[in-house]
Amino acid sequence: MRMVKPTALICLIPIILVSCGPGTEPPSQADDYLADAAAVQRGRSIFVGTCAGYCHRLTPEVIDAVYLFDCEWKHGGSDQEIFNTVTNGVPNTRMIGFGTNFPEGEDDLWKVIAFLKSNRAKCS
Amino acid sequence: MRSLNRSNIKLSLLTLLSTIFLWGCSPAEQQSSPSPDVPEMSESSNTFNGDDVAEALVISTTHWINQRDIGDGEGPVSNEMLTEPQSASGRNWLQYGGDYSNNRHSPIEQLSTENIDRLSFEWGFPSGTLGQFAVSPIVYDGIMYLTTSYNRLIALDARTGEMYWRYDHPQPEDLRLCCGPANRGASIHGDKIFMATLDARILAFDRFSGEKLWDSEIIEYFRGFSATSAPLIVKDLALIGVGGGEFGVRGFFDAYNINTGEREWRHYTVPAEGEPGYETWSGNSYETGGAPAWTIGTYDSELDLVYWTTGNPAPDWNGDARLGDNLFSDSVLAIDPDTGERVWYYQFTPHDVWDYDGNSHLFQADLEQDGQSIKALVQANRNGFFYAINRANGEFIRATSYMEQLNWADSMEPSGRPVVNPEALPSEEPTMRICPGALGGMNGSVAGSLNPDLGLAFIPVIESCQLMQKGLSMFVEGQMFTGGLPIPVDGVPDEIGDVAAYGHISAVNYNTGDIAWRYYDPQPMMAGTLSTAGGLVFTGSQTGHALGLDAETGDVVWRKRLGGGVRSQPIAYELDGDAYVAIASGNFQGIAAFAGADISIPEGGQLYVFKIDN
Repeated sequence: MRMVKPTALICLIPIILVSCGPGTEPPSQADDYLADAAAVQRGRSIFVGTCAGYCHRLTPEVIDAVYLFDCEWKHGGSDQEIFNTVTNGVPNTRMIGFGTNFPEGEDDLWKVIAFLKSNRAKCS
Repeated sequence: MRSLNRSNIKLSLLTLLSTIFLWGCSPAEQQSSPSPDVPEMSESSNTFNGDDVAEALVISTTHWINQRDIGDGEGPVSNEMLTEPQSASGRNWLQYGGDYSNNRHSPIEQLSTENIDRLSFEWGFPSGTLGQFAVSPIVYDGIMYLTTSYNRLIALDARTGEMYWRYDHPQPEDLRLCCGPANRGASIHGDKIFMATLDARILAFDRFSGEKLWDSEIIEYFRGFSATSAPLIVKDLALIGVGGGEFGVRGFFDAYNINTGEREWRHYTVPAEGEPGYETWSGNSYETGGAPAWTIGTYDSELDLVYWTTGNPAPDWNGDARLGDNLFSDSVLAIDPDTGERVWYYQFTPHDVWDYDGNSHLFQADLEQDGQSIKALVQANRNGFFYAINRANGEFIRATSYMEQLNWADSMEPSGRPVVNPEALPSEEPTMRICPGALGGMNGSVAGSLNPDLGLAFIPVIESCQLMQKGLSMFVEGQMFTGGLPIPVDGVPDEIGDVAAYGHISAVNYNTGDIAWRYYDPQPMMAGTLSTAGGLVFTGSQTGHALGLDAETGDVVWRKRLGGGVRSQPIAYELDGDAYVAIASGNFQGIAAFAGADISIPEGGQLYVFKIDN
């Protein structure tokens, strides 16, 4: 039986810490839209019309759905994690996945994420 | 051996670290725990024998059965008893609206300005749940039947508050609710009690034992449906409508056989292709047209017509993809109860883009017009107008504002069609305070009352305006489909207008539409009202007070702090010559905030019963 070297354990701990920490987020398609005012505006319009009615409000309010412009993310705050959550939904909640139903497909969802990023609080 | 042991220890350590790693980085929903408000499913039922409380109350149980002889021996509730006007007896409170007129006018004369000082606390009962305690209890045979948020159904001794039986409806975790876990009451017929549920079911119980008799699914809740209203009992049918206007459902209301639970008919509130009214929806927008039917209707046994109201077209704040009047949203429908067929309709808000559901409380009243008495429906609509409609044929009689702030419409055409203020349409960059806001002037979640002797209807009013922002939306079944949002600004410092939200009880002369008096309150009024023949109006405030008003002047003659904000519908009953008033407190912060009200008072429900000793 091959034994695990103590050094392997020592190396693993930083990996674990790095994996759990804020880290550097890889660029996403949302970043491409950040400098495109029309794209951010479309993302805003979709957010207002689809997400903000009784759920993810534009300002912090007493409501059961989470506020999406602060630094706290229940299901992951990277662009790709947000993309996955919106696409697939959150089991056992009323957050149903939107799948591929955006009018212009994935591009629209990346524009929504670009809108979120452009209005997000600065997080340390 | 030692190596093997060390290896095992290290592997275990790795496994532990990996577990910590995965646990620490996994999404929150994977660390599931039951909601404190959602009782765990249990197959068992317990028998409740009064004194044996400690043995009977087991935490995992959701259903407590009674085996004692209870009640005063009044017998089963008949159709004749339901048809009898409430003025005949103040002993019971048989229906959500008191009787079929929906007037909530108790004939108890000792509930008067002269006796009000003797109205004192008698007993209380907790809901054990959060969210709005919106109930209008029913009382029959000396027993009170109470529902709470999250669908607890409880039978109590109406004299003492002793619990006879209790049922906690097991709820799924992913309910489709726009506006809180409300239930507004149960209904009664024969020896059965009926309750509709947040997960879109309708259930029947034995009124003595609390045993469940039948349980019917109205529709799959996860498609965007819920039920919050008390069913309306007509003949041998239990009528119930659904919520879901914010989810793009196709609205409807149903009739269920009270003995079997089988559905007898369904009335869709949005026409299918080829049906009358289909032409009022552009494209295929009728498929997701909303028009929910989430509040209770009323029944005229002489005309043999049921009146049911409908809510907003979907999506709420963007009508671009549903051009047209969007029939039969925001309407009142007259229905043949035997067939479910529509006889006539009247639409309050054609092509609604403000979320002005037509579901406010309907009253049946006899109007005096030019020396003639007209059988009418009167209603303080969510859009801010107080309507009078001929209930025999649906003809528009009159509409006048009952609010102090109404600006979405400039006037009312003689035909009964509002003239819309073009500046009050939702936009992508809204700047105008639109009045009323999305909760309306009077919301359908609360009941009004009407005193036919004074010719006044007592309306709880929300004076809270909002910006209305339009956006793009797409329909995904079970998801919100709103097309925009209302933005609360009243009561928010430095916001547009910097105007505080407030409320009032308005006494509307339903023969003329004139306002006789207003009682002003610092918070929007979101509790129902109760009228008494002794000349009182009872209600509650979101500041947590029960209030008694002089019905002729609006002066406050009785005031008790209950604690939680009041969202319930007060009732009255008379037993052994003693008069009782029941009113529940317990608010839902989400809607309170939406209305611009104070949200600092904790949630939590409590029923209070007050009594005047004879």
